[in-house]
Amino acid sequence: MNATPTAPRHRAYGATIGRIVPFVPALIPMAILVGIVVELLISSKLTNFGWGFWGSIWDPPSQWGIAVFIAGSFLTALPALFFAMAIGLGIAIASTTYLPGWITRWLDPFVDLLAGIPSIVYGIWGYLLVAPFFGSVINPALYAHIGFIPGFGGLAPRADGLGLPVGVFILTLMALPITTLLIRDALRSVPRDLWEAGLGLGATRWETVRHVAIPYGSRGILSAAFLGFGRAFGETVAIAMVLNVVASYPTNVYGSTGTMAAEMFLSLDSAFGNTQWLAALSEMALVLLAISLAVNIIGRRLVARIVTYEVPGL
Amino acid sequence: MASAVNHLRAETAEELLFDRSFRTRWRLGFDKAIGWVLPLLFLVAIIPILDLVYYIASQALPTFTWTVLTSTNPYDPDALGVPIETTAAIMLFAIALAVLLGLFGGVATAEFLPERAAGWVRMAANMLVGTPSVVLGYFGYFLFVITFGWGLSFIAGSVTLAFFMTPYIFRISDLAYSSIPRPIREAAYGSGARPYQYVLRVGAPIAFPQILNGVFLALAIGVGETAPIVLTTTQSVIFPPTIYSPVTFLTGTIWENFSQPAGSPSLSLAFQAALLLMVVVVALNILVRVISARYQKRLEGLYQ
Amino acid sequence: MSAQNTGGTTQTEQLSTPMKRRSGGMSVGVAVAIAIVLLIVGIAGGYFLGKSTNSSTSSSTINLTETGSSLLYPLFKNYWFPNYTASGVVLSAASTGSGTGQSSAELGLVNIGASDGYLTNASTTNLINFPVAISAQLIYYNLPAPLNAVHLNLNGSILAGIYSGSITTWNNPEILAAQSSTVAGELSAMSAQTIYPVKRSDSSGDTFLFTSLCYMSDAAFPYPVSTSGLSGFTGTNVLTGTGNSGMVSTAQGQVGSIAYIGISYEASAAAAGLEYAAVGNNATIANGTYAAAADDYILPTTTTISNDANLGLTRLDFATYGLAVSLILGGSYAGAVTLVHGGGGSNAAAGVDAYPIVNLEYALIKTLPGGTVVTAAALAATVAFMHWALTYGNYNSAGSASAWINGVNFVPLTPEVIGYDNVELASVSGIS
Repeated sequence: MNATPTAPRHRAYGATIGRIVPFVPALIPMAILVGIVVELLISSKLTNFGWGFWGSIWDPPSQWGIAVFIAGSFLTALPALFFAMAIGLGIAIASTTYLPGWITRWLDPFVDLLAGIPSIVYGIWGYLLVAPFFGSVINPALYAHIGFIPGFGGLAPRADGLGLPVGVFILTLMALPITTLLIRDALRSVPRDLWEAGLGLGATRWETVRHVAIPYGSRGILSAAFLGFGRAFGETVAIAMVLNVVASYPTNVYGSTGTMAAEMFLSLDSAFGNTQWLAALSEMALVLLAISLAVNIIGRRLVARIVTYEVPGL
Repeated sequence: MASAVNHLRAETAEELLFDRSFRTRWRLGFDKAIGWVLPLLFLVAIIPILDLVYYIASQALPTFTWTVLTSTNPYDPDALGVPIETTAAIMLFAIALAVLLGLFGGVATAEFLPERAAGWVRMAANMLVGTPSVVLGYFGYFLFVITFGWGLSFIAGSVTLAFFMTPYIFRISDLAYSSIPRPIREAAYGSGARPYQYVLRVGAPIAFPQILNGVFLALAIGVGETAPIVLTTTQSVIFPPTIYSPVTFLTGTIWENFSQPAGSPSLSLAFQAALLLMVVVVALNILVRVISARYQKRLEGLYQ
Repeated sequence: MSAQNTGGTTQTEQLSTPMKRRSGGMSVGVAVAIAIVLLIVGIAGGYFLGKSTNSSTSSSTINLTETGSSLLYPLFKNYWFPNYTASGVVLSAASTGSGTGQSSAELGLVNIGASDGYLTNASTTNLINFPVAISAQLIYYNLPAPLNAVHLNLNGSILAGIYSGSITTWNNPEILAAQSSTVAGELSAMSAQTIYPVKRSDSSGDTFLFTSLCYMSDAAFPYPVSTSGLSGFTGTNVLTGTGNSGMVSTAQGQVGSIAYIGISYEASAAAAGLEYAAVGNNATIANGTYAAAADDYILPTTTTISNDANLGLTRLDFATYGLAVSLILGGSYAGAVTLVHGGGGSNAAAGVDAYPIVNLEYALIKTLPGGTVVTAAALAATVAFMHWALTYGNYNSAGSASAWINGVNFVPLTPEVIGYDNVELASVSGIS
């Protein structure tokens, strides 16, 4: 074969239409992203709420401390991430190492399908079925039996079950397909020979996974953690329905708090026409955006290939 | 490892093959046990989903008649006809706009951008995908409803949703064109094709299934979104909407009615909308996977 | 090298393409410039698209949108809108809370805003607000048998104490003092059941109404601030509900809860197993002591609500304050109250029972067309609907309350108020 073909010499160089026009549409995602940030900055009118903005009291129309919501977002997303990673790891290991191909061929897509269920459907199921179940069965049982552990005692849980436990449960279900997908991907990318080398040395499958596959795929697993967290952190509607969103810290495990996304969603209606309230909400949106983007960038950096996933929010 | 058989110093094959030391038996037993326990974790994922589907179906189906889907009577409390039609209208408009923005962008990134710039653009697209939908809803509200003055309307909702779906289409078209096999690309350019000829005549037939896939995927994701729509539209009972009229979206119907007291017709309406939504989304997702599988075969065929 | 599709993931390696256009920095710069130009054109286009007071609604159906008070919502959605007889006009209702109704109307996002409370500076945004019906608010509670079949006696002072946190259990002496002896016995027989006050999480006219009652009854309760009134709800154990229907759901889910719910949700509250209280008018505490006499605590019925409305309306000074009045607070927003309270009260004629929590329900419409929603045609249709609502909507042909008003347990407006409403409506431009 000849050397790499080059551009035909008769073509004019310089800024011809053919060379400029294609670039323009490529800038669209950046334009949208920049547009979002700019618009939020405009609507916030760059109001300086002072240090109180990072305080703990959110009491429109007078006080604008968003610390409660930041804490609430982390309080709901981190436990959900923990559970989603644990279960996702287990499922991914089972799928790649232990289960035969004829099972995983349909079971894996089934778990991936979980990701496609709209969050409002999760929300209505959570609000009407799971929350009462938590409220009547699980929370009282926890309260009665392990109430001596600090955090599990104190104020009696609500009968309708709305609160952190069911919120974390729903978020786990929503982050689970993502963590499973990414960890499975990471484990599958382990080269066959490394795997077989481990087994050949006399390690059991479990030991191979533990000592060979997981360290090899650790970047992918870490990215699963970040991206799963990003999903749980930005979840809006399901949390708004299932967590009794209040602007206060929960006193114990069964209590409620507010997340940034849910509070933004629920109170925009009330803030119509009140510029200060809208400004506070816009600035909260900027904080949410910043954290989500940071988590996303870090998570993606860890996966150094062009990957796209047919999963919302990924 | 003191009590185990030392595999480096074993003297007979028999010693190795019939290693009955406690440690080895424990390791093998543990492995076997884990092999049973871990698959059970699948149930943690599967059982809630089955429960969810069963619950929604059991609440929606008893009052489900054909008229629920077709009745467009604006004042019938148990009619999904109007939300279905307006949802379809919104999705159509939104996906058209999203394809317009995303397809050109994705192809341009795959074909014409130098690698460094492409890296930045792809990162921007990924960041957009990771943006919480409520932030996009805020953007839509502030820009379209207030600043542009479109009000809580069909067009505000559609355009916001289009912006939401654009990065998915962008990524998929980028990926589709990037993964066209190199020999085909070289052959095309080697035969003297100009870039647009390559894109239209050579690349498009190959990339089309994957892009179509992406369109269905974006539809599946977009139809299940609540926040961008609820923040930019308000309830309406009529169809067809004009450009500025309010519209009802399926997820909006669920959102409005889910807190109604048990037994009221509004609550069953919410369930019926939820069931319909789930069916549509799952169908689209299955369609996406089927097309993926067929496309895979086709590409391999090209390579023979 | 080719793309791999593995059940949900697609990945590809970096393909170096020999024919990627090599571009200098200038090309990218020019591209960015073109992109910015297109962006500006797009934004300007969108801006002017919105500005054009459009005749694009050439469709024959006029779609009027309403949003706001969840107390008015059942009347609009289930009764008035479906039965409105004008052709070519379709009305859509949404339940979002009075505050949203007010601000949506201000911003011109909907044709009709519904609110339980008056909007004082309506005229600055070309709005008029006028009452369209008279409603009432009930106090519901969720208690175990036998109390779920008994109407407790409560008054504004007790309610203020509950919501501000000074009364935390159902067997509190203040509550017991107001009950008859049997009920008091049943209440104290319950082991100290915590009270869970439920408040509205959206900006709600019901909250405004409820806090008005608390304010009038308890000196320490802060003045209600438009439709939030949240600063007085300092008790612990406060639960929230979104909309009146959310209040029903929340109260249903927690034993010991108490909630203020509009009378238009009576059926669903009853279906949820909640019971409502007999509310004392302020005569019961005017003397500083709680009367336990049964006839000082009034049950909400059409008669008692009408009585309170009539009493209140005769005492309101429309000439001075216009229609921006409250049956509980009296005649002006700034608190220059001309009565001890708006309705019923210490001057009530003997034998006239007046239920205290009664309210005028307001609709807000623009006086001038503008924007994409409030077009001239839509405004005319809105005014036509309002005229219909004030006549047929309130009264049937026999001159008594229309079936629709009865359906939500409201009472119709008095002819005097309707007269004032018509004067307001006449101020809408171009309409007579």
